[in-house]
Amino acid sequence: MAVNDAGRATSADSSRGGGQPESAEFIQLLTPEGERIEHPDYPLEISAEEIRGLYRDLVLVRRIDFEAIALQRQGELGLWASLLGQEAAQIGSGRALKPADMAFPTYREHGVAWCRGLDPTRLLELFRGVSNGGWDPAAHNFHLYTIVIGSQTLHATGYAMGIQRDGAVGGENGEAVIAYFGDGATSQGDVNEAFIWASVTNAPIVFFCQNNQWAISAPLERQSRVPLYLRAPGFGFPGVRVDGNDVLACLAVTRKAMQAARDGQGPTMIEAFTYRMGAHTTTDDPTRYRLAAELETWKLKDPIERVKAYLIRNELADESFFTELDAEAAELGARIRKACLEMPDPGPLAIFDNVYAEPNALLEAERDQYAAYLESFEEAVR
Amino acid sequence: MSELKQFKLPDVGEGLTEADIVKWHVQPGDKVTINQIIVEIETAKAVVELPSPYEGVVAGLLVPEGTTADVGTPIISVEVGPDAGITTPPAPRGSTSADLVPPPPPESPSPSPSPSSSPAEGGTEPGIEGTLTPKEDERHAVLVGYGVKAGSTARRPRKAAAGSGAAAALAGSRPAVLAKPPVRKLARDLGVDLTLLSGTGPGGSNTRDDVQSAVRGLETAGPAAAEGPAPAAPNRFAPVTAVAREERIPIRGVRKHMAAAMVGSAFSAPHVTEFLQIDMTETMAATARLRTLPEFSEIRVSPLLLVARALMVAVARHPMINSSWDEDAQEIVVKHYVNLGIAAATERGLVVPNVKDAHALSLPGLGRALAELAETARAGQATPADLRGGTITITNVGVFGVDTGTPILTPGEAAILAFGRVKDAPWVHQGQLAVRKVTTLGLSFDHRIVDGELGSAVLRDIGAMLEDPLRMLAWS
Amino acid sequence: MTRLTLSKALNEGLRKAMEDDPKVLIMGEDVGKLGGVFRVTDGLQKDFGEARVVDTPLAESGIVGTAIGLALRGYRPVCEIQFDGFVFPAFNQITTQLAKMRLRSLGNLILPVVIRIPCGGGIGAVEHHSESPEALFTHTGGLRVVACGDPADAYAMIQLAIKNDDPVIFFEPKRRYWERAEVDTAGGLAGALPLDRARVLIGGTDVTLLCYGPMVKTCAAAAAAAGEEGRSVEVIDLRSLAPLDTETIFESVRRTGRCVVAHEAPVTSGLGAEIAARVTEECFYHLEAPVLRVGGFSTPYPPSRLEEHYIPDLDRVLDAVDRTFGY
Repeated sequence: MAVNDAGRATSADSSRGGGQPESAEFIQLLTPEGERIEHPDYPLEISAEEIRGLYRDLVLVRRIDFEAIALQRQGELGLWASLLGQEAAQIGSGRALKPADMAFPTYREHGVAWCRGLDPTRLLELFRGVSNGGWDPAAHNFHLYTIVIGSQTLHATGYAMGIQRDGAVGGENGEAVIAYFGDGATSQGDVNEAFIWASVTNAPIVFFCQNNQWAISAPLERQSRVPLYLRAPGFGFPGVRVDGNDVLACLAVTRKAMQAARDGQGPTMIEAFTYRMGAHTTTDDPTRYRLAAELETWKLKDPIERVKAYLIRNELADESFFTELDAEAAELGARIRKACLEMPDPGPLAIFDNVYAEPNALLEAERDQYAAYLESFEEAVR
Repeated sequence: MSELKQFKLPDVGEGLTEADIVKWHVQPGDKVTINQIIVEIETAKAVVELPSPYEGVVAGLLVPEGTTADVGTPIISVEVGPDAGITTPPAPRGSTSADLVPPPPPESPSPSPSPSSSPAEGGTEPGIEGTLTPKEDERHAVLVGYGVKAGSTARRPRKAAAGSGAAAALAGSRPAVLAKPPVRKLARDLGVDLTLLSGTGPGGSNTRDDVQSAVRGLETAGPAAAEGPAPAAPNRFAPVTAVAREERIPIRGVRKHMAAAMVGSAFSAPHVTEFLQIDMTETMAATARLRTLPEFSEIRVSPLLLVARALMVAVARHPMINSSWDEDAQEIVVKHYVNLGIAAATERGLVVPNVKDAHALSLPGLGRALAELAETARAGQATPADLRGGTITITNVGVFGVDTGTPILTPGEAAILAFGRVKDAPWVHQGQLAVRKVTTLGLSFDHRIVDGELGSAVLRDIGAMLEDPLRMLAWS
Repeated sequence: MTRLTLSKALNEGLRKAMEDDPKVLIMGEDVGKLGGVFRVTDGLQKDFGEARVVDTPLAESGIVGTAIGLALRGYRPVCEIQFDGFVFPAFNQITTQLAKMRLRSLGNLILPVVIRIPCGGGIGAVEHHSESPEALFTHTGGLRVVACGDPADAYAMIQLAIKNDDPVIFFEPKRRYWERAEVDTAGGLAGALPLDRARVLIGGTDVTLLCYGPMVKTCAAAAAAAGEEGRSVEVIDLRSLAPLDTETIFESVRRTGRCVVAHEAPVTSGLGAEIAARVTEECFYHLEAPVLRVGGFSTPYPPSRLEEHYIPDLDRVLDAVDRTFGY
């Protein structure tokens, strides 16, 4: 980022177009070609088995995403928000979480859901239109998807304030919160308010921003003239930028930030510099606003390819590993397809369920009226 | 064995209703796997590639390239089943790459539609006739509930008593019946058809009283004619025997209504009554002479006729006596017309029907009207309209054989004249003692509106006119 | 006359407005390069430039707030809120500032801001994409609220809204965006129905059916079906939700004696409640039956698999019509 004498940005951060960002702060532990590099602030002890495990995570998550897009194109899902290209950011950060940590996703964190142990078929309900959620947040410490941009960052901050009041900060069993959001979300008032609150309360929270360069058709420079991670110091806590396509770097950086939060050192912002390889959602057409050349550049930085290259070059995985994994991916795809096709529709009176915790006479009356109305037809609906 | 499945065009983008078929990537006879890209479509929003939901052999392309299809239209049929192709889709090659879509699996032939096959694809579907038919209840890849449903244009049939209760009303519209909703309910509860009533409420709407009067009318079994005054409900004094010592008569109907009116009147308007004894001899003679006139040959002429006329002349001279106190509006309403009420005792009780615009009637007309009024009232056939809208009243207590009385105002009026019996009595006539026809007039008035001076003036005028009927002529 | 989709009719109307007045701006998320997620602003940035068709940061409060500032500087901004469910971050700016500033200034200021909001359900979407929040705005003094129901009205109304010196909340029925109809794009606005008037879409004698936005098409179909059964339904497209065209409404109800209001929004505290109260007060003696309302239930908008039960369809509308004859 070019800055003039007064400290003002003289051009938008144009690092999106390809190559490294201009700023030196970009944590990377695995190059796009699959070479391991070290960073003094982020030592990473990791076994071959663990790396193979990460690779498996990446492959399977991509397969889930692929299958879901196809299902949408076949009319079995109303919508899907693809994470294509962002697998490493999500698997890396997701695997840095401890079971007691709480994660607040947006609506694209299918990789984090995977890491939390949520069965991927549960993700389908929301996109199929069977419910507006799909799982119990407490079951896997993974909150429901939040579609209103940025709202969840305040929820995450409040949850973190609750952890403080429960005395669960510090010590061996410290807990922390990770809040996911995108580059576009950083323009929303709620997100900025969350930063303020987290800062002044020293909340145990990591703000994980997946900067995938685009908010539908709005490029990053629509949202900011400075790299996003540099926002954090303005609010009073550290910000760090990591190569969002590097699963090892994401793992290492998130681990450190989460531990700092658990230890009571307060919030950190992590900007995972990545790219939205697909469309915003299946209703979007990116060919209308971005160039194919950009896509091609980012293909060379694919998060999965670099791990595969590393495994092969270092002889940490053999042919059978890859073949078995492909088969597992195909099975997973088929299982997701089956679950989707067999998903039962809720009955019409389900509209009235779960709206209130306490009895509500007005709603009961409406339910009865509608039930009677449905009964009044010669043939039942659907 | 195989079955034929159809893929219906989905809505791929939040509410799209149609799409153009841009390019088919397969042709009939090609094997396809699940998720293999089979067609490119263009919507209002984007160009989209659609993956196959089925695995099998393409049986037919149902919409040709270059045409627009609505969401929900079948676009391709695929024969699926063990005979039709591979059972398990192979892992798409490049699942670890950033490719958005998988290349076709190696087993299936790469489709490249030849120019000659494209135009023909729309119409011909080899293999469908005869052998294979799509199942009725199969799940189609159509966005049920997604996209925009066309919206029905016909009603779904409902069961017989669908709770609408509207069957009777279907036969066209009824004439507008104005009534406040509560009045409707009352009418319905009492079995009264509002369309048969003429409303006396604002704007011609029907009021609660209109409905209740109609009920009373319904209750009357037939004309209850009574000659002369009908006594009030008799009080029977039971002899002191084993028979019941008291009798309870329910308060209802006309009595109830009248009682309420009396109470309302008596205890809201301060009543003052003044008396004037007069020599009616001239009026009685005039009455007799009127009877001989041809204009009155068919009319029953009584002194009441001239008393009524005298009253109306007095009203013309003193309009304030013909008014009412409007508490709500805080106004005194002076009427410039006379609806003359005549209190009538009927079998069912006291009613006060009135003659509308009596001031404008000729003397014969007035006579006729009074006679009709009496007849109708005695027969119990006074309508609600007859009973409403009076501006001033005469009560003929003479028929009861008494001299006068202190009458209670008809509600909404400012004055009521009691006309007692006319009797022979000693009188000073032209300075000499004589036997003359004498009567006592009693005038009660609403002291909020009518002060002593006015009330006396009216009474004096009436008296003067009855003592010398020629005055009626002079003062008209 | 040309056959246009509602989306394209709006596009043409916006284009015309921008040609007529250089102070007119368009601003919103993805409205420029992309042309809007429903393509309503398609092609406008290319022709009028980035200064007049602005791709904004992802911040609804910012969109409305800065629009207010631009209006104070003499511009006429047309904001787009991408979906109804996302208007709420802007709700503060709309209700505390946009609605109140003219009064605050004792008439010295005008805020000719138009806020376009695609509304309503029936497109199979996820949460927050199918709301009907119009009553929140009709309840806010200082705002005008309108809803177009068909392409021809959309074309005229968007131009009238832009020319209007008051802030206008402009609801567009998103499930009707792709409906086509004849639109006179050459005629000009001289003969157009004013922005604050309702339109009697279908004349009738037995019952008055009031609707707006996405329900207009449904109610027209319902009236046709009722006609087959011998019942004459008068359908009125309200168009103006605040202020309501009570003259047209009352004239109709006094004639027919019965009134049904249909909207997608929940019945409880919806616009139908306001209309029912007014009609009851002003047409009391003419009412054969109480005013009935059809609309959504008192719940959040359901997941899309259930939405056809929530949104009033032809059968639900006719059920209400039937019930008005049961009194």
